[in-house]
Amino acid sequence: MINSCIFNKQHWKKSLLVSAILATLTISGCADDAIDGANGIDGIQGIDGANGADGADGKNATADPSMVTSSGFAFPADAIFVQPFAVDGEDITDELVLALFEVPAGATVVLPKGNFTVSETIAIAAADNFTLTGYGINETTLDFTNSTGDDGIRFEGGINIAIRDFSVLEANKNGIKVVSANGVYIAYTGTIWNGPLEEDNGAYGLYPLQSQNILIEHNYAYGSADAGVYVGQSNNIVIRDNVAKNNVAGIEIENSTMADVYNNVAIGNTGGILAFDLPGLTQAYGGNIRIFNNEVIANNAENVGSGAVGIVPPGTGMLIFSVSDVEIYNNNFTDNETSSIEIASYFLANDDVSAYPTTYGATMTDGWSPLIKNINIHGNSISRSGADPRGDLVTDIVAGYTLMLGQTMPAILYGGVGESLSNAGVIAGFNALVGADALADGVNYDPYLAEDLVCASGNIDNNSAASSLEFPEVNIGVVYTANPASPALAYETMQGNSNLLSCTQPRLAPAVVTFRGKKYGCLGDDIATLACAL
Amino acid sequence: MLVAITSLLLTACGGDESTDQVETPPVETTPPVNLINANAGGPDENKGDCDATTEGVNWNALMTETCRNLSDYNLFQDSMNPTENPSNGGVAFNLAVPLFTDYATKYRFAFIPEGKQIKYSQDEVLEFPVGSVLVKTFTMPADTANRDGEELLIETRLLIHRENGWVARPYYWADVTDAKIAITGKTIENMTTTHKGEVKTFSYSVPKASACTSCHSVVPLSQGPDDTRQPIFKPIGPKARNLNIEHVYLDTTANQLQYLADNQVLVGLPTDISTIDKVDIFNDELDITALPHEQVMDTARAYLDVNCAHCHRSELTIPEENYAGPAGGSGLQLEYNRDYAENPQRFGVCKVAVAGGHADYPADVIPGSPDDSYLLFRMSTNDQRHRMPELGRSTVHGEGVALINYWINNLPSADCSKS
Repeated sequence: MINSCIFNKQHWKKSLLVSAILATLTISGCADDAIDGANGIDGIQGIDGANGADGADGKNATADPSMVTSSGFAFPADAIFVQPFAVDGEDITDELVLALFEVPAGATVVLPKGNFTVSETIAIAAADNFTLTGYGINETTLDFTNSTGDDGIRFEGGINIAIRDFSVLEANKNGIKVVSANGVYIAYTGTIWNGPLEEDNGAYGLYPLQSQNILIEHNYAYGSADAGVYVGQSNNIVIRDNVAKNNVAGIEIENSTMADVYNNVAIGNTGGILAFDLPGLTQAYGGNIRIFNNEVIANNAENVGSGAVGIVPPGTGMLIFSVSDVEIYNNNFTDNETSSIEIASYFLANDDVSAYPTTYGATMTDGWSPLIKNINIHGNSISRSGADPRGDLVTDIVAGYTLMLGQTMPAILYGGVGESLSNAGVIAGFNALVGADALADGVNYDPYLAEDLVCASGNIDNNSAASSLEFPEVNIGVVYTANPASPALAYETMQGNSNLLSCTQPRLAPAVVTFRGKKYGCLGDDIATLACAL
Repeated sequence: MLVAITSLLLTACGGDESTDQVETPPVETTPPVNLINANAGGPDENKGDCDATTEGVNWNALMTETCRNLSDYNLFQDSMNPTENPSNGGVAFNLAVPLFTDYATKYRFAFIPEGKQIKYSQDEVLEFPVGSVLVKTFTMPADTANRDGEELLIETRLLIHRENGWVARPYYWADVTDAKIAITGKTIENMTTTHKGEVKTFSYSVPKASACTSCHSVVPLSQGPDDTRQPIFKPIGPKARNLNIEHVYLDTTANQLQYLADNQVLVGLPTDISTIDKVDIFNDELDITALPHEQVMDTARAYLDVNCAHCHRSELTIPEENYAGPAGGSGLQLEYNRDYAENPQRFGVCKVAVAGGHADYPADVIPGSPDDSYLLFRMSTNDQRHRMPELGRSTVHGEGVALINYWINNLPSADCSKS
């Protein structure tokens, strides 16, 4: 594979783009040997990393189209250009690896314009104020179809990393993974598995994990067999203006706190937008998640996923699962065939209540709880919900509402067995498992107080006159109202609802992302936008 | 060859001490010997020079330069043979349970600058001083039954402890004369070896330099939005429990830890080394069905430790506070020194895969049902989507799979076990 001089096949002399450093690298790195790069690395390290480029707004576009991305991000003068005259289909792995190896602080590395192949995972450790950019989400694509690695691109650690303006295709596992970073900006970036949604498509598309200060905007995630946009075990998160299409989960927030998810489109997924707390993780639980002003449309793909995401019923607009302190408002739901908003405790997935102390005792000590509390659902518009309800998780509930009761599947569905168990005192013994920190943070198994309730108010039946013939009932449904031993299927129309989930909760605080010294989100750059005023 | 080197070493140490040892009964006040790094030299403050001619190891080049040729560092007496006879300052070692790398043979050496010492650590990698270099050469035997026989020299990896921390430098033996820096790695198609009579042909990957961090670093467990700590690069293998075995040296056969201590390059070793954790040797020739049950279970834990726990670890005994392995976040944590009974879910027992997963394998580990356990499946497949470890193998380690199969089969029954 490494059988010719790395850089001398470039027409670098033709290019004003190629920095002086790259020229040095080209000359000295290719003196004789096929396998080298040593001198080249010295060259890269010679770059003055301070470029001060603002990765997040890209305002300083110049007239030269070779120096600016399709989203308007202008490359800094000291940018490092990888294989700038590569031809379509060329494998740029080696050149990219060389450019990224121990990349200096502040560097911007520019992927070439066109469609290229990459044959291994690109791993970047401890990047510092680093930007990886292409020429645009459609202008630069990296195809990992024949890669021998698992993830497409993986950042390990790092501070203020910007990833923008290119697409990753057909990664074996995850598209772009970032673990343990502080400051993650992903924009105008695509992660795509083409063709039908199948189980051997990759796992996560955009995948920051155990990170802080994450801003994900203007991206496109298509075809993931897990989640298109996933943020896990992280804090201070803004996910806005993205399109997630044809994934198992469109956008998923897992064991994360302080997250705002707004202005996104989730379409054609199994489940549009998900918020989960899963047991057994280092960050045991999340919360303070706001999901608002999103378009959640026709999320009816069959579930080809495995593991945790495998439980999501096809036809799910939103699933809030085993996580507390979530506000869902002013979203538009259309054509989600099972239910628009599903709220469920972990008991829906595992109803062996007596086994929880042995199975989940340690993670419950850390604060994970199967319960859901303080869910505030307001001002959402819902239409054409529940046309074909299905999914293993809800088989009995679907049968109950549709076959037994002859109703349309509720558009807002609350699986309240956890609340019912708490109120009946059945799981008060779990309190003994809760560790001191979690207890102080309000985790408990006491009967629900007003502040713990799941509330729905002011949600709108948005069916047209024609649709309302097909969907006569737009209901709120609650499973297990009182007796935890036997499910009762309650329902009431959403408009004029006065009994079920009829309460409100205080508004949650906005998330703030600090990236390269600037603040983003509803208390930052979006302070004056419509969504943030809702 | 062995004889010649032995005499050379003894000469270098200024005496015919083996003869003295025979004639004089050993007494506790025997003057300390140092066959490892006496007169080995070491780095000074000067910038290194890959072209410098040095009598022994080119320490300064190791500290500051990425040299093109492995030979530039002068680590071995014969620059074309990195499998034996290190330059002064180097000592060979083996691990009781090694990481599996496609049935390759590995030759390991630690280089310690003159006057410097390694500090003992009970659970973590021994603390090698700045200036140390860990050198691992990979060869592919023609037949794994005869690892002393014909073999193909593939790659030599250096872990160098510089002032600012460890760095990794991979060298690839494109031909037999010297190894060249391989920042971008190398894929060798049609690598072949015979293992237990079966010819295996596969694509061998020399990892690129940046891939080293995927296994070799621990990452910060963020403590808040202002936490800007970066990952820390660490060696993996040379932990006391994994070094606590006999080794045949040129001058003697001894416990590796004791030998290092006796040669004054290891300090802090407990006086009674029987108190140190010790994992039993595991290799492909071992018949686990003939071993005591407890030993197999323990060896399985040691295997998971070496092959998985560099990533799948969290909190436990990492000396730097609030750091974890890069895959600690998966919830699967497999350190040897983790108490299984305290929380079996950390070992994957009844734990649903958080990321990815596979419909046919409902939990990572289902005691009693290895064939339904996702962990074992991931060890048993070469599919990049599911393969574990992520790096470093293109073949399935049949013996390792059999070991973990035994372990899962014999774990205490759990909620998810089939009744």
